[in-house]
This record gives sequence, C-alpha cells and structure tokens, in this order.
Amino acid sequence: MNTALPEDITEFAAVAAKRLARFGGPQAALRAETEEHLRDEARSALADLGAFDLDVRSSGDDLLAAAVLCQAAGAAALPYPLAEELLAIDGARLALVNPEAPRIDHGDLAGEWIAADLDGTRYHVQLSSRTSAKLGPFLVPATLTGPDGTVPAADVDTHLTLGSWRILGALQHALEITRQHVTARMQFGKPLAEFQAVRFTIADASVAVRGLFELAKFTISRTESTAAQVRSADALVLRLKAADTARQVLRTAHQLLGALGFCDESDVSVLDRHTQPLIRLPVSSEMLALRLIPGVRGGQLETLFSEPVAAEPV
Amino acid sequence: MDYDLGADAVELRKRLRELISAHIPEGFLGACTDDPRDLATTESFCKLLASDGLLALAWPKEHGGGGGSIWQQTVLREEMWAHHEPRGAQYMGINWVGPALMRYGTAEQKARHLSAIASGEVIWCQGFSEPEAGTDLASLRTRAVPDGDGWRVTGQKVWTSYAQMASWCVLAACTDPNAPKPKRLSLFLVPMDRPGITVRPIRSMLGPHHLNEVFLDGVEVFADEVLGEVGDGWRVMREALAFERVGIARYARCESLLDRMQTELGEDWDRLPESIRARWVRALIDLRVARLLAYRAVSLQHDPSAGAAASAARIATTTCDQQVAELLFDVLGPSALDSGTSARLHGAVEDHWRYAQAATVASGTIEVQRMLVAREALGDHG
Repeated sequence: MNTALPEDITEFAAVAAKRLARFGGPQAALRAETEEHLRDEARSALADLGAFDLDVRSSGDDLLAAAVLCQAAGAAALPYPLAEELLAIDGARLALVNPEAPRIDHGDLAGEWIAADLDGTRYHVQLSSRTSAKLGPFLVPATLTGPDGTVPAADVDTHLTLGSWRILGALQHALEITRQHVTARMQFGKPLAEFQAVRFTIADASVAVRGLFELAKFTISRTESTAAQVRSADALVLRLKAADTARQVLRTAHQLLGALGFCDESDVSVLDRHTQPLIRLPVSSEMLALRLIPGVRGGQLETLFSEPVAAEPV
Repeated sequence: MDYDLGADAVELRKRLRELISAHIPEGFLGACTDDPRDLATTESFCKLLASDGLLALAWPKEHGGGGGSIWQQTVLREEMWAHHEPRGAQYMGINWVGPALMRYGTAEQKARHLSAIASGEVIWCQGFSEPEAGTDLASLRTRAVPDGDGWRVTGQKVWTSYAQMASWCVLAACTDPNAPKPKRLSLFLVPMDRPGITVRPIRSMLGPHHLNEVFLDGVEVFADEVLGEVGDGWRVMREALAFERVGIARYARCESLLDRMQTELGEDWDRLPESIRARWVRALIDLRVARLLAYRAVSLQHDPSAGAAASAARIATTTCDQQVAELLFDVLGPSALDSGTSARLHGAVEDHWRYAQAATVASGTIEVQRMLVAREALGDHG
C-alpha cells in the first residue's frame, strides 16, 4: 500500500498552485464577479497548465492530474468551470443539475452546455442570465427540456469526484488562512492560538480536512479498478463527506476570523461564497445520504466485511 | 498510489477469520466478562496464535515473533478487535512491553521475558496511572526509596487493567523527587506476587478486570529489574507508548457490528426509519475515513515527518466508536439496554456502548490527541 500522491503529481500540484496564485487567487475570483475578462484569463491559466489536454475518461494518470488541478482551483476559488469542461461531450460542457431547480455555475460563459442529473439522465439546457447572488455569484438559472438520453454513469461519478477535490482545495486553503490568523491575532495580550478552545477547534478542523484528503485519494485511486456500482457509491460517499466537511471547516474559519471573515477582503469570504454551489448542488448532502441507503444492504458501500459486488452485466 | 494491503495480508485476514470461526465461541465478547470461560478461551486462543507465529506477529523472529509486514500487523489488529480481542489481556505485553524490552531491556531481561510473552504464557499490566497523576504521568507520586542494592516502593496505582490476572507489572515510580521532572521516574519489571502488592478490583460500567487499584507497601525491587536507566523512565515510557501510537483498530469492530446487525435485521433493515438509515450511511463513511487515516498513520509510522498522523487517526476512530454505539442503541430502541447472551447479537451492542464510553479516555485522552494535532498545526503556543 502506498497512500502518498505520486511525486510527479505532487510537483504538478505545486506548479498549478503557483500559476493560479499568479492569476490572483480568491481576490481575482472576487474581481471576476464584475470584470468579465478575468474568467477568460482563468481559462488561459488552466490552458497554460495543460488542463485541456487531460483525458480524464481514459487515463488514470490524467484523472489524478485533473484532481490535483481541481484542488488547486478550489484553493484559488478559480472562476472557471474546470470539471464541466474536462467532461465536455461533443464540445458542450457537462453540468450536473437537480431537475427540480436547475442552476449552472458559470452557465453564462460562451459555449454549449449539456445538463445531466445524478441518475445520468441528459437534458437540453436553456440558460437565463446570472443573478449575481452573494452565494454562488456565477450561478445561472436554467430551464431543462427533455429528457434526451443519458450520459455515462462514469461521467457523473467523475464529475462528483472532481468537484469534491475542488471543495478539498477550498477547505485546505480556508484552514490555512485560519491557522495564520489565530497565530498572528493578539487578544488579551496573547495570540488566539494560545487559547485551548481555539487550539481544539483547529485540531478538529484539521482532522476533518486530513480525513477528506485521504478519502479523496482513496476514491480516485480505485476509479478504474472497482465495479461500476461501487465506483458510483464511492463518488457519492466522497461528495457527501466533502459537503459535510465544508460546512464544519468553513464554520470554523468564520468563527475564528471573527468579523474579518465576513469581509470580501478576506479570502475566507470569497472561498465560502464561491464554493457554495459545489457544497449544495446538484443536491444537498442529506439527499446524497438517501441515495446511498440502498448501497448499505446491496454492498456497494463497501466495508471490511461486505461481500464483493459482482460487476453489472453489460 | 495504491491501497492494496498485499497478498500476504489478504491471506492472513482469511486465515484469522477461519481460526476465529473455528475456535472462538459465538457470542464471545472478550476476556473481561463475568464468565471465567471467556478468559480460558483467550488463553487457549493465544497459545494457538503463538504456535502459528501470529501472537507476536510484529516481532522479529529471533524473539519468537512472526516478522510480519506492517500491513499484516494492521490486518491482525483489525481482525482481533473486530472479533472482541480474543488475545484478551495479552494485548499489552505484545504491543508495547515486548517492544520496549527489545529496545531497553538487558540481555537477561530479554531472555527471561520475551519468549514468555511471545508464547502467550504471561499477562502483563501497566502500573502507571495514580489517583493524582492520570494524563500527567510525569507528576506521579509513588516513591522508590533506595534500600540496599535496590529500592522499596510505596504508593498507589489506579485504573490498572488486568492487574488481578497479571503475573508481571511494568511499574513506574519516582526514584529522585528532587530531579527535574523528566528525570524523576524509573520503570521496574516486577512480579505481581511479590510481598507488599495488593490488588483491589474497582466495580465499573466497563465490566470486570478493566479497572483495579494496586497498593504498593514497601515493595522490594532490585537493580536488575530496572527497564532502561534509573531516572530515564519518563523517556522510556513515552517512547514505549509510541510503539502502539496507531492504536486500537476500533473502526474494525464498528464495521463488524454494523455488518452483524444488518444481517440480523435482514429485510427489517429496510423498515428502519429513514433518519436511522441515513445515519447508518454517514457512520459507514466516517468509518471509512477513520480506516484511511489509520492506514496513513501506519504508512508513516517510521517517518519522522509523520507529525500528528497517528493522533488524527485516533481522534477519528474513537469518535466513530461512540457514534456507532449511539446509532446501534437507536436501532434497537427499547431493547437497547438488554445485556447477556439472550440480547440481540448476544449483548454485543450493549457491551460496545459501555466500552465505547472509554474510547476517548483510554490510552491517551482525546484532549491529548487534540493537543498534539494542534501543536503540529499551530506550534507550541499555550
């Protein structure tokens, strides 16, 4: 067993983080809410990194590279639909939606879109205009027509997985900002980091983020090797854990940063607002849990004691 | 990056499940019960494991061990804990007394104790905690006063698991009260039948044998019974406890209990309230995360950059223990408090709930683990 990311992937992740920091990080994402050209520049940054040469459907190495790229994009709150474009079908970006209330992040960008729900049902999309909401400022309400066939289950799984890596990156960055803040911020004559309540809160958030990172690595490592039904359950498991961890860690970040964390000049505010679509859509973590219930008795939600799941007949 | 435990570890899991199925009676809940047959079961099972080189799997072969890989050791931890630790009270001797002897023991001490531990013939207890020194072990008050070639030890130990059944004790005592705190303590390897030692069991919700008081009244100890150097006990203790810093594979019992309960319920599982089934899903996810954090800690156990990986794993797995205990109680509803062999799963749920209350206390409290994680994240503030 080797639970570490391969060295070349770690190096690529570092290069990606550096390039996206040069793009401007979360503060560039904030400006992109009003400056249209910045989303084109975000795409250029991704192109510089070779993002659009990655074949996430047929190469495990490329999928892993895409995962750490999504992680870096999450840390930067990069204002671009990376996973959606990596999973494009016939040139149309793929969005995961809830048909009851379809919304597409960055749906106003030029180009075609295809929508699919978690069952893989495919829809035509009609997009309206951005609502410029505080939470999810690039969300665009959509109207679906169809259904119009299906998209491969593997695409839905990869979408959920890459989105989870993006949440992971956002949470790692939010925790690091919080760590730096409590170390530097003096109250009652000493750094916040000297108060045990603060230390324990950081410890709990740190364990949560570590756990999510381990789960994210595990999930992506066996995408190619596991039975399709188990892979789908794995993707739901990861997305559910990512959403739950996000709620805990972003709450921690806000609490420990105090009023500063609500200000857009703090990256925590931007990370929180811009990551909300991934945390809440296409469905809530409660709905994800409900979708996983049949996998308990069916064995798709694997444990040390579950029987191997037979491959689905083709 | 791969999560394959390896063919030898997978094979070991199969072998252990076969041995357990063949030799551990249905409804076995560990050595610490009111039924003396359970203790006898662990004693015979330990000898069986020892004969296969599986009891001291992690130890080098020269000391009677099995020379197993870290992933075989992981599988052994998982399978033993999942099946209510049929090694019983041997856990302590195997997991840290033996490794500490290998590192700090004299040739005579190694010869005397290691093969006995590896063959499952002796039970050890750990005389560390005192009424005034629990987590803060460096403050313990039991005194060892020089007397001839050795010392006379007087004081009181508490919470000492297996003290009633143990034949040996690793006893921590203060040999120099005027030395700086880290240099005050020494460790002694003392037979429990030595005059002056009195054991008094403490009734507790955990069950018999878990908690005892040990009174030491002028107990004679000798120079050749010191483990490591005189005055170096604190360092030896800390390093010895680090041998088992990955800790108990609590997630494995939780996964096993959920699996057994699901089988027991059959189609009734589908009729559980949706809120319970959703909690079940979340528990399985949290257990997977705890297992992966444990695997990460295992893979880093010889890496100085491991930092707080083991503490993170412990926090995750001990909190899962309590989460699953509450979940299973809510599944059982009005029959949750039933115990004994006539209860659901032979009382395993009630047993688990009681024991899970100690998960965040035993072997280093969750507060200490949080301190270690925070120290890595924030430095030494506070």
